Amino acid sequence: MPGWLRHHKGVVPYLFLLPGGLWLIVFFVVPLLTTASVALQEGSLASGYRLTFNFGIFPEAIGRWDTQLLRSLQYGLIVTVLAMLIGYPMAYTIAFRGGRYKNILLLLVILPFFTSFIIRTISWKFILADQGFLLGTLKEIGLLDQGFRLLATPVAVISGITYNFLPFVVLPLYVALERIDPRLIEAATDLYASRFQAFLRVTLPLSISGVFAASLLSFIPAVGDYLNAELLGSRNETMIGNVIQRLFLVNRDYPEAAALSLILMVGILVSIFFYIRLLRGQELTV
Amino acid sequence: MRIMKMERRARPARAMAAVGVTMALVLGACGIEPGGSNGETAGASGGGEPVGGGETAGVLNFTNWPLYIDQDDDGNSPTIQQFEDETGIDVTYSEAIQDNSSFFGTIQPQLQAGQDTGHDIIVVTDWMIGNMIELGYLEQIDVERDIPNFMEHAADKYKDRSYDPDNLYSVPWQSGITGIGYNPALVDEEITSLAQLFDPEFIEKYCGQIGMFSEMRDVISLALLYNGVIPEEATIEDVEAAQEILLEQAECVRGYYGNEYADDFANGSLAITMAWSGDVFQLQLDNPDLQFVVPDEGAILWTDNMAIPKGAEHPNDALAMMDYVYRPEVAAQVAEWVNYITPVPGAQEIVIQHADEAEADGDTETAEYLRAVAESPLVFPTDEMLSRLYSYKVLSEEEERQWAELFQEVTQG
Repeated sequence: MPGWLRHHKGVVPYLFLLPGGLWLIVFFVVPLLTTASVALQEGSLASGYRLTFNFGIFPEAIGRWDTQLLRSLQYGLIVTVLAMLIGYPMAYTIAFRGGRYKNILLLLVILPFFTSFIIRTISWKFILADQGFLLGTLKEIGLLDQGFRLLATPVAVISGITYNFLPFVVLPLYVALERIDPRLIEAATDLYASRFQAFLRVTLPLSISGVFAASLLSFIPAVGDYLNAELLGSRNETMIGNVIQRLFLVNRDYPEAAALSLILMVGILVSIFFYIRLLRGQELTV
Repeated sequence: MRIMKMERRARPARAMAAVGVTMALVLGACGIEPGGSNGETAGASGGGEPVGGGETAGVLNFTNWPLYIDQDDDGNSPTIQQFEDETGIDVTYSEAIQDNSSFFGTIQPQLQAGQDTGHDIIVVTDWMIGNMIELGYLEQIDVERDIPNFMEHAADKYKDRSYDPDNLYSVPWQSGITGIGYNPALVDEEITSLAQLFDPEFIEKYCGQIGMFSEMRDVISLALLYNGVIPEEATIEDVEAAQEILLEQAECVRGYYGNEYADDFANGSLAITMAWSGDVFQLQLDNPDLQFVVPDEGAILWTDNMAIPKGAEHPNDALAMMDYVYRPEVAAQVAEWVNYITPVPGAQEIVIQHADEAEADGDTETAEYLRAVAESPLVFPTDEMLSRLYSYKVLSEEEERQWAELFQEVTQG
């Protein structure tokens, strides 16, 4: 440690924070401020943009795209619940019953990450195609009506998002469950708790931090996702991410796109705020 | 001569491309003002002297779309190589254009500042040519003096275009048709009319198996034609009426596609779809049943054009290239590879000639392929077909914004 640092030991933690802090400033704070500034500008690419503090853009954007905003929050919520219902038993099994296969099972959970998100979603398209391997076969043997389809329905979009974010749910749940001392559960059963009661009063409350992390990690990206709706959905499943994407890249309506991005962010923050309140209450009653 | 197994030509123009837009985005985001004065300073569209008539410089920067010129096994273009050998001009051919708007975003700052963009020839779609002429961003050319092959060999259709009526700024590279494709395995009648794509009564039968494009100009233009409006004459009220049609149809539309419509069309998810002629030609090589029609009400003929951006350093070399590609032999060589519509009808004979030569060499596969190219109305449209084709309207900035807004309500309602 150089001499001057030795005299100012208090500085060290800040120095450690510096790289991450700079990263956040450059790649989060600056873009966020730029987005806010773009939202308040008016003009076009050819004639230039001017900052006019046009706050009216926010109610205007909400009014025009309220259906898609609400649909995104709704899909995000459904996805989170579904992912939790599928992910919790998975994580529980790996943590308590995994034994020597724990590592292999965990590897299997993250294995899909070895290929690109886009490729995986496109393969869903192949699997679910109207005349594809799955539906084609079921139609052939007469189990399904010829006109039946999964693609371009909410079912396809929601399943796609759930699938894509499932590992984000399993991993934090696993970490939380794995930390629980099995003797606590043993103690509960010794005190005449049934297995179910022990789960409800010991395991679940002790894993609540994992549930919290897991639900945020699935809800936030799910609400903002546009790829699944783009590839597996139709106009009736359009999410707010698709609207923003088109506004930015096709219509080149940067102010409205930026405004919608900010609205989405605030929407997510508000939902999370209520969620935290809710969860806190839970912890107190348990 | 040997034709390789063709790759499906993706025409990313027609899809949304993210690359390059970022550039424009950054400019916009930083509040950079391209200066309100550009219209006046650069707006030399009225007067001005055409470039050319001088010595070539021996250098040419030719910028085009991907997979839009012939390629041999090594990825070189025989067309470009022959040109270099003949003229001694050193050509840098790049495939940097993925999308009209985003490419425009990358050269707009230089054009604005009156600087050379580094491109001597660019290839952009007709409406973009119209926009660039209005902004004064293209050099004037003298086709009669410098591009005699164009005067001699180009079809008349290409000498009178609304966006550049007297070829003062541009000559066509290739064209294509936006029409209807259908899969006879899923559709039990012949498709001949736009009503079969738009009329709720008719499409109910194929609900969920109908494909539309995500490209605003294509979709709105077809809906306008269905309403009996010529796209170039459309008023905003006409577009609002077209939107009504599209909104009614939307419930039965499977998706609003970019290039990927071709996959769903090929795999049987789409019974009826909007389609681009060159794509259907390629798909027919695998599935000859697929049909492409120019509906009775008409369809869209779009054209990608060569033009010289303002301030280009090597205009004489650019003009030499433009003249060269209008030779029927060269046009044929390109058409055999890209399968879009060549502006040189005389190329057809030469493709047939090449087919005969291949046959004589015993290369029946190539001969068959070349015959298919020469006989396809998708590559060499009949006059009757051409008479029913219309162009996009050149939109003002305000119109473009209004159209885009109306259209987004259709695709993402």
